[in-house]
Amino acid sequence: MDWEKEIQKLKVCDFEELPGPKSKEELEEMKMPFEDYCRRVFDVGNEFVKPEALKGIRWLSTTMYIFTPHSVANLAELGAEVIKIEMPRMGDPMRHTSPFNEAYLYPLHDTRPMTGTGLGFTNANSNEYFITLDYHVPEAKPVFYNLVKMSDGLTECYRHGTFDRWKQGYRHVMEINPRFIYVWGGGFGYGPKIFGGSYDILGQAHAGLASITGTHEDFGGHATKATNWVIDWYSGTQISVAIMAALYWRGKTGLGTMIEFSQVQAATRCCGYAVPLYGRFGIVRQRWGNWDTQLCVHGIIMAGKSDFPDAQNPQDRFEARYVMVSAFQDADFQELCNVIKKPDLYSRYKTHKERVDAAAQIEIYKAIEDWAADKSRSEVVRILKEAGLLAAPVMNDREVYECEHYRQRGTVRWNDDPLFGDILVHSAYSCGLLSKTPRRHRWLWRPVGADNVKIYHELLGYPMSKIQELYDKNII
Amino acid sequence: MCDIIWCKKDMGDGKICDTVNYLDPYCFWNWEGKVACAHCGTVYYIHMIQGHMYAGPEEKPGEKPDILPLYADQPNNGYFNYLPGTEGRTRPYTCLPRHIYLGKADMVKFSIRGRPVRGWRPQPPSAGVAGSQGYFWDIEKLSPEVWEEYQEKIRRGEVKDW
Repeated sequence: MDWEKEIQKLKVCDFEELPGPKSKEELEEMKMPFEDYCRRVFDVGNEFVKPEALKGIRWLSTTMYIFTPHSVANLAELGAEVIKIEMPRMGDPMRHTSPFNEAYLYPLHDTRPMTGTGLGFTNANSNEYFITLDYHVPEAKPVFYNLVKMSDGLTECYRHGTFDRWKQGYRHVMEINPRFIYVWGGGFGYGPKIFGGSYDILGQAHAGLASITGTHEDFGGHATKATNWVIDWYSGTQISVAIMAALYWRGKTGLGTMIEFSQVQAATRCCGYAVPLYGRFGIVRQRWGNWDTQLCVHGIIMAGKSDFPDAQNPQDRFEARYVMVSAFQDADFQELCNVIKKPDLYSRYKTHKERVDAAAQIEIYKAIEDWAADKSRSEVVRILKEAGLLAAPVMNDREVYECEHYRQRGTVRWNDDPLFGDILVHSAYSCGLLSKTPRRHRWLWRPVGADNVKIYHELLGYPMSKIQELYDKNII
Repeated sequence: MCDIIWCKKDMGDGKICDTVNYLDPYCFWNWEGKVACAHCGTVYYIHMIQGHMYAGPEEKPGEKPDILPLYADQPNNGYFNYLPGTEGRTRPYTCLPRHIYLGKADMVKFSIRGRPVRGWRPQPPSAGVAGSQGYFWDIEKLSPEVWEEYQEKIRRGEVKDW
């Protein structure tokens, strides 16, 4: 018997004849470049064909302004069904705030045709369903409890113990639904200052963050808050992290949790090494503005000329002249000194320890700004980049909108909002990409009580006559 | 606050009107036209520059006013006042720029890339129970005039992707 031939007959297929790599090395060669791989798995623009991570979670939101609403918008963008409960006819106060003048979207509610929702509401309430309920009224209690029975959790932002007093705090709802996850996003949380409410600026101030932000008084600066409500957005996201952990814990134990979240406390985390520094040495950290206390050169400098001297918008005409520069390694710093024609600076500050010193930083940054005084922002960036250094323009909103990098990644994109039409958004798509279950943006928001029928009739099963009755009594 | 019009019009019964008409900077900061006294209705011509009375107030009997003051009171009469939005006397305060009062409202109908947006004022009622709203705004059906303008923009090549 010719065994060789018999074995050949038994072979299902010939490995050598199969398409594809024949060795590990060949496999490595045939793999698509990482860039292409990322483009394929994240597939920007086709998020809606993929599943949603939090599909099946139903969350109630009795929140206002940005801090607590944002914690829930995070869930809604990841696929949770979020029901936002607002006061009848009024809605979240954030609807009625900045920016002023014409930046409103109408309608707000049938009864208020001349009132709209301000764009300040953006990003904190995406993808949610909007119902109204005045839960101060005893008649509204059973409605609220019915919602609790059918939901996984609630985020509220009232003053301490308010929901508890109204018999809808964690101690009460856990008796109705032991799996319920309850978030109280208070200003200060419990403690000696329990009575204080909170705003973003209060969080920045009270946590010590504003004291280390901005330029030192020696240079004409003052304690500074970040212009936008960064601590609202930040602490809202921190709540979302806590909710994810609570959901995971509930998956293991079957039990809900109460999450108590103080906004002023959350902001202390942003202060970095300030607290342990004080604990070890008794040193109170100071502001250092657009420079860095740990690295030099690593800061923002001002060039002499704007990139758009003829632009109509002052943000372009006057402000497009700031550059972020980084050259803290010895070789990079030497190159920077050569570029700005100050080689003596390098000979005096050869080590990083020498140039990170405050007096040295003042001299170095001044030398760089003197060199940039007759140059535009883009010239400075080009020259430094050509020298192999890290430099980037400080961009404004328009430039972010026009930035090809963000466009290709889908960070900023146009959304055809089902109610408001063509809207430029960055909410869901600015929070990291997920290959299997990406975030997505469905709608910006909906008018006050727009989903009353969907939730009260379709979800809770109330007859339409009952809904009309509650509406006529101003309960919904 | 801008300058005021303190109306001293003789009311005929030995009394004067004695009403302070407050001219809010939102409307009157740089303004020329005719304002009616909230109490007696006397029409005054004024020309305001940077909040200061450049010309007037000058009585214009028989002429119609362009606008009403926002608020008026009578400090010598126990601070009797006319709150904003008193019909025929003061105008309502709804944070709207002046040109809207004059009937030239121009709400944004298109985004910066030329595609239609909604959200202008006023919007039609929802026609749903308890303020319910539909999930889709059919621009062609609900705002045919904006749809027409959009088609024209497409024809002119003014609609872009970015």
